Amino acid sequence: MRLFKLNRLIPYLLLAPSLALTLFALGYPVYDLVRMSLHEVNRFGMLQQFVGLQNFSDLLRDPLFAPSLYRTLVWTFGIVVGTVLLSLPVALILNEPFIGRGIARTIILLPWAVSLAMTAIVWRWALSGQHGLLNATLMDLGLINAPIVWLATAQTSFPIAIGIGILVSIPFTVTVFLGGLSSVPGEIYDAARVDGATGLPLFRYITLPLLKPFFNLAVILNVIYVFNSFPIIWVLTEGGPANTTDILVTYLYKLAFRFGDLDVAATLSLIMFAILLAISVLFALLTRRGESRA
Amino acid sequence: MKRLLVVLFLLVWGLAAAQTSLRVVIAEYSGLTGPFFQDVAADFQRAHPDIEVRIEVVPWDLLFMRLTTDIAGGRAPDISIIGTRWLAEFVAEGLAEPLDAFMTDAFRGQFIEAFLTPSILDGKTYGLPVAASVRAFYYNKDLFEAAGITEPPVSWDELREAARRIVEETDAFGFGLQGGEIEADVYWYYALWTFGGDILTDDGQSGINSPEAVAAAEFYRQLIRDGLTQPGPTAYGREDLQELFKAGRLGMMITGPWFIGHLAAEAPDLNYGVAALPFKERPATMGVTDTIMMFSTSRAKEAAWQFLEFAFQPEYRFRFTQGEGMLPVLKAVAEDLYFAEHPRLGTIVDLLPHARFAPIVPEWERIADITVRALQLVYLEQAPPEQALNEAAEQINRILGR
Repeated sequence: MRLFKLNRLIPYLLLAPSLALTLFALGYPVYDLVRMSLHEVNRFGMLQQFVGLQNFSDLLRDPLFAPSLYRTLVWTFGIVVGTVLLSLPVALILNEPFIGRGIARTIILLPWAVSLAMTAIVWRWALSGQHGLLNATLMDLGLINAPIVWLATAQTSFPIAIGIGILVSIPFTVTVFLGGLSSVPGEIYDAARVDGATGLPLFRYITLPLLKPFFNLAVILNVIYVFNSFPIIWVLTEGGPANTTDILVTYLYKLAFRFGDLDVAATLSLIMFAILLAISVLFALLTRRGESRA
Repeated sequence: MKRLLVVLFLLVWGLAAAQTSLRVVIAEYSGLTGPFFQDVAADFQRAHPDIEVRIEVVPWDLLFMRLTTDIAGGRAPDISIIGTRWLAEFVAEGLAEPLDAFMTDAFRGQFIEAFLTPSILDGKTYGLPVAASVRAFYYNKDLFEAAGITEPPVSWDELREAARRIVEETDAFGFGLQGGEIEADVYWYYALWTFGGDILTDDGQSGINSPEAVAAAEFYRQLIRDGLTQPGPTAYGREDLQELFKAGRLGMMITGPWFIGHLAAEAPDLNYGVAALPFKERPATMGVTDTIMMFSTSRAKEAAWQFLEFAFQPEYRFRFTQGEGMLPVLKAVAEDLYFAEHPRLGTIVDLLPHARFAPIVPEWERIADITVRALQLVYLEQAPPEQALNEAAEQINRILGR
């Protein structure tokens, strides 16, 4: 009897060490953040007195918090939607054999190979009011008469930042979709064509539903990554002018490393973590329901 | 018995010959900084063979975080260069060692008083000035000639007129106005101080909503509105303005003495001049010092002091100051012919008596950020100066009151 019970325990015992290590590596920072958010912390990371939930209320009362949160949602939604809408046609095209397809796929993948900070710095130079490539190109094309200082206001810099975000997210999403498309067995298409299906209906009723799991994967991974994406906004405008392009993660950086408010920053970290967790869980529930209906 | 004595002797000898080890963190001003301090350390170790000095060079934008991490980890260095604006925080946490006990009157008397003062808090000297600069007015002489201007502007109204002429007669920009990034608030303090205002009033309240302050902000706003500055000032940090000036596309700007070195290296043919900042109610300029301090957690304070004393000998100070394009902090160095007779540096040295410094208060970064935000709203015409500055002053007073 005892041997039998031990047998059932063995898998868990074997998993235990790596599980413990992972939990520690992931959990200790969260634990530390929770501790910091419940105390007053000085600039050098040393905990002072226990203040309970005061940091949370300070943060919620901060006039810069709500606009940053709103802007983060706009940023995330804009980039993810834009990325998915652009990646799907690209993936479909790259799925069809044509001459130069290999080169085309490589070119699409290249932005992924460049670090995000480098991409942002190159774009910052391209957007410069005086020596920028963008202004030069637009003026040559006759679309504008005088150079525009793109990074001077939020109205021009934020949409461009979103555009850059879409550009750098496309390679990954295209890869995911290509993987999905190649997992669709060719026989299904043949069978559908035998039944007389062509073009758009083929796409709507066969391709899209079978792509659903990959679509979900792309969306949720992009949401998590974009929500926390720091380099693009930071390099372009540092969240300025006047905090009008600040998203939660750039505001967090300023709180922690410019002002030295490590306690409020830890609180903001936890709130961002909670938001992302909520989004992920919500999304998982919605898509699970969709799948079971299918 | 004999063996015991031999062992004891070896022990004592070993301890006496034991090396004191010093860790010195140096901020990187340029490629010359590291080698310079390595040389000083080598010379020092030759003079003091029982003290080992390890120099660590850290880039400026990583320095504060690096120090914070070291302190939090219980591994604070013995000596470090810091931005003087951080000194208040270090002193508040009890991390800075007062140097008055170590300094002799003769040592103290070497310093130009104006540069020593920012490192003195509560009557105690918590650090020594290692680099100092005051800001000056740079103008492009060729553009001035093309616009028919003979003399650099003395007052802000003359500056406005000069900018207008440059914009009309040439295709360069008039006055470079920094509206973004680090020290965007400092660019406005030039106007604030010369208009007669102050960052903090005598009773420690924010002075950025005084009538003089509002007038200064309004003046800048009108310069932008009338197209006398480069377009989109909020997108320009100091480096960006300097690039424009180097390219000969900017008539006038205000920056520090290092620019002389940059221009000599990157735009040697640019015909430019250096003058005092424009004037309205009183002459002023911004002084900035960097401080070298000893940590109270150091376990080798005597040795650390010896190193500081050694490094501050005039010959080393001269080499550092000249190499980095800074201003001398020792009287002996300032009197050296190189500085006294250098046409442009000499002009800048003459501005020293009017140098004003940013207030040393904890939370200065936050206060500066609030000021920058208010100014950016004004420059973008998103808020009238009086309203923006009033709101900012209110927030700052709340922080100061804490």
